[in-house]
Amino acid sequence: MDRTRKLTGRPGRGFLRTLWDQRQLALMSVPMLLYVLLFSYAPLWGWITAFMSYKPAVPLFDNPWVGLRNFSWLFSRQEFLLAIRNTFAMSVINLVFNTVSAIGLAVLLNEVASRRYKRTVQTVTYLPHFLSWVIVVGLAQNAFATDGVVNQVLLSLGLIRQPLFFLGEGRYFWWLAGIIHMWKEAGWNSIIYLSSMSAIDPALYEAAEIDGAGRLRKIMHITLPGIKSTFVILLIMNIGMLVSGTNDGNFDIPYLMGQNLLIDWSQTIDIFVLKYGISQGQYGRATAAGIFKSLVSIFLLFSANRIARRLDEPTLL
Amino acid sequence: MQRKLLSLLLILAMMLPLGLALAEPAPLTVTVFAGDPFDQPTSDNKIYKLIEEEFGIKFEFEFLAGDLDETLGIKIAGQDYADIMSGSNSAEMLIDAGTYIDLLDYINETDTPNLWAHFEPYMNRITVDGGLYVMPSFGRIYNDAIVNYQNGPAFWIQKKVLAWDNYPTITTPEQYFDLLLRYKEAHPTTEDGLPTSGFEILTDGWRNFCLLNPVQHLMGHPNDGGVFVHWDDNYRVDVFHNKDYSKPYYQKLNEVFQKGLIDQDTFVQNFDQYIAKLSSGRVLGMFDQYWNFQNATDALIARQMYGETYIGLPLVYSEDITDHYIDQPVINVNRGFGISVNCKEPKRIVDMFEALLDDRWQTIFHWGIEGEDYYVENGRYLRTAEQKANAENPVWVNANKARALFFYSPKKEGTMDNGNSWDPALQPELYFDMMSEYDKEFLTSYGMKTPAEFFTPAPPNEPYYPVWQIDLQPYPDMRDINTQMGDIQARDLPRLIMAAPGEFDGMWETFAKTMSDAGQAEYEVFLQGIILEMNERLR
Repeated sequence: MDRTRKLTGRPGRGFLRTLWDQRQLALMSVPMLLYVLLFSYAPLWGWITAFMSYKPAVPLFDNPWVGLRNFSWLFSRQEFLLAIRNTFAMSVINLVFNTVSAIGLAVLLNEVASRRYKRTVQTVTYLPHFLSWVIVVGLAQNAFATDGVVNQVLLSLGLIRQPLFFLGEGRYFWWLAGIIHMWKEAGWNSIIYLSSMSAIDPALYEAAEIDGAGRLRKIMHITLPGIKSTFVILLIMNIGMLVSGTNDGNFDIPYLMGQNLLIDWSQTIDIFVLKYGISQGQYGRATAAGIFKSLVSIFLLFSANRIARRLDEPTLL
Repeated sequence: MQRKLLSLLLILAMMLPLGLALAEPAPLTVTVFAGDPFDQPTSDNKIYKLIEEEFGIKFEFEFLAGDLDETLGIKIAGQDYADIMSGSNSAEMLIDAGTYIDLLDYINETDTPNLWAHFEPYMNRITVDGGLYVMPSFGRIYNDAIVNYQNGPAFWIQKKVLAWDNYPTITTPEQYFDLLLRYKEAHPTTEDGLPTSGFEILTDGWRNFCLLNPVQHLMGHPNDGGVFVHWDDNYRVDVFHNKDYSKPYYQKLNEVFQKGLIDQDTFVQNFDQYIAKLSSGRVLGMFDQYWNFQNATDALIARQMYGETYIGLPLVYSEDITDHYIDQPVINVNRGFGISVNCKEPKRIVDMFEALLDDRWQTIFHWGIEGEDYYVENGRYLRTAEQKANAENPVWVNANKARALFFYSPKKEGTMDNGNSWDPALQPELYFDMMSEYDKEFLTSYGMKTPAEFFTPAPPNEPYYPVWQIDLQPYPDMRDINTQMGDIQARDLPRLIMAAPGEFDGMWETFAKTMSDAGQAEYEVFLQGIILEMNERLR
C-alpha cells in the first residue's frame, strides 16, 4: 500500500518531492520525452504552412496567407472524397484480415505439439515480412495475371469459365490489396499473440482437462480470453493508425499496384497528397491533408479507447 | 654583381614550384544530381580522370531512384540541393522554387565565348523572365542535322510481319491493323511456342503517351504532347482525346480488341513487363517512341532475332495527309544542368563548362580518345569492330565514357566543320556498317537505304513548337486541370478500348463530358494564349 502511494504521489505532498522520490524513473523517461518533443511536437509548427501559399525558398512569414483555402480546395475535389473512402475501406479490410489471420495462425501454432514443426512454420510465415513491397507486389501481379496461377487454378477447378481480370477491375482491388497484405504480415503479426499465449498459466489448461474440456473448449475458454487484453490494446492502436501514413497498406500497395484504370478505387489520401501536393510543389495543400489525417486519427483513437473503457476492457490512455 | 644575379636566380628557382602550384587549380568536389537513373561510373573512369587532371574537379553523382516529381518535391522542401542539378522533365519545379542561380551573371560574350555562341541565338526561348537557369543539353544543332532512323514516335511493326506479306506499303491504321490481324491468325504462336501478342499499349505512369499520343500523328502533326494545335485557325488548341477526330482511332482499337488482337493485360503491365514482352519477340506491333523500347531491340539483336525487331511506320488517317512524325530538332528548354544556390564556386563550374564546349573536349565526349576509341581515315571518323563493340557495352561505357555528365551538359550536335557527325551513332558509314544483313536486305526490298526513309523529312517548325515545353509551374490552377484530365484519360481510354460491343458510343459520350467538366475549355484557351504570345516573341 505504502509503495503504491509512493509511486502515484499523495495529494499535498508536492510535485517536486514526488519527482525527487522517482528521480530514476524520471531520468529514464527523459530521452523518450526529448524524442517526442523533437520529432512529434516541434514539427507541428510546420502546420502553419497549411494556411499559406507556401514556397520553401521564401522566408516563412513572407509567404502569403490564404486562410482555409487549402482545406476548402481539398474538400471540393471529388478525387479527395474518393481517396478518403478508399483509405477507410482498405484500412478496415486490412485491419480485419490482419487481426483474424494473426490470431488464427497464433492459435493453430499454439496447438502444435512438435517444437521443430512449430518453429519451421513460424519462420516460413513471418519471412515475407522482410520482403520489400516492390517484390511482394511483383509476385502478386504475376500470380493474379490473366494467365497467372490463381486464374489457372480457378479454371481447372471449374469455378470460372473465363479468366478473371483481377488486376484491371476496380471492384477486386480492395480485397486483393487486403489478401496481399495479409500474406505478407500474418506471420509477423502472430508473434505478439503467441508470446501473450505463452504467458497463460498452464495450470488453467490442466484444470480444464481434468474437468473434461476438449481442445476446442480450451481454445474458446482459456486461450482466447487469455489474449483478450493484448487484442484490445492492439486494436485500439491499429484503429488510431487507420488513416496514418505509417500504415503501409495506405501507400505501398495502392501506389505500386493501383494502375491508371483502377484509380477510382486505389487512390488513397497519401497518394492524392503526393500527386496534387508534393509533386506539384503545393506544400500548403499537402500539409492541410496531413492535418486532416491527424485530426481523424486522434478522433478514432479516443473513440476506440472510450468504447474499450465502457466495455471494461484495458485501455491505452 | 654576380652574387646578386645568383641570389636572384636562386630566388626565382625557389619560386618556380610555387608558381607551378598556383597554376594547378585547387581540387574541388562537385556534387551532381541527375534527374534520370544512370549507372554510377567506375571510380577510375577514363574521361572523368582527364577532367580531374585538367580542371582539378571531381564529381559526386546522385542519380534518380524512384519518381522524379516526388524526389524533387522532397529536395525542395528540405532545400537539399547538389551543386549542379538537372531536374530532367520537371526542371520547372526547381526553377520555380528558386533552386538555380541566374547563369547570365557568368555567361557573356567576353568571359565565356563558347557558351555565348552556343546559346545566344536561342536566348529568347531559353530564358525565364530574363534569367538563364538551365543550360539546355540537347537540340543545339551545328551545320546539318543527320537523320538515319526515327528515334521518336511511330507505329512499330515487326519486320518479319511485313516480309510475310511481301513488303506492302502501309499508310493507314486500317491497313496496319488488318495486317496484324491476318498475321496473328496465321501465326497464333511464335516459333518458341509463345502466344503471339498482336498490339501492345503501354499505360505505365508517364509512359502512357503510348496510349495518349497517336491521334495527333494520325492527323499529320508532330508531337506537341497531349494537345493538337490548329495552325490554320489562329492556333486554337485541342486537348484532343475526346474530340470527334479521336473517336475513330479508339473505336478501331475497340474493334480489334473484340477480335482478340489486344490483350487486356496490356493495361495493367508495368514498363519492365512490357520490355520483357517485346524482348521475347512475340509482340507484333505497338505505338511507342523508339528510345523508350530500345532495350528490347538490343535484347532481340543480341539473340539474333532480326526479323522480330521493329520498323517504324508513319501512319496517318488517310492517304492525302502528309506524315509529320519526324520533327526538326528543338532546343531542349530547361533540360540540362543548372547551378544551385548551394554551390560555393559557380564561376569555376561555368568556366569548366565553357572549356568543355570547345571542339577538343566535345570530340572526347562524343567519340572518345583517338586511337583508343576511334580512328581517322581520310578525314572520316571510324571505329574498328572492337571499338564498336566497346561503345555498345554498358560495362565498358561506365569505365570509359563520361555518360551522365555529358548527357546534361551543353553539347554540340549535328555535323562538325570537318564534315563528320558529332554523334558517332549518326555517322553514316558507321550506321550502315552496324546494320545486320537482314536489315540491309529488308530495306533493299523497300528500295531504301535507311529506316528514316519511311518518313517524310521534317518541315520547319512553328515558332512556338512544341507545346510540351510550356512551363505550367507558375499556373497551379492549370496544373490541377492538366493532372485531373490526365487521370481521366488514363482511367477511361483503356475502359473504352475494352468496352463490350454496343457500349462504346455511350461510354464515349460520358468520357467526353467528364473531360470537359474537368475544365478542358479553360485549359485550351489558356494554352492558345501562351502559344500566340510565344509566336509573337520568337518569330
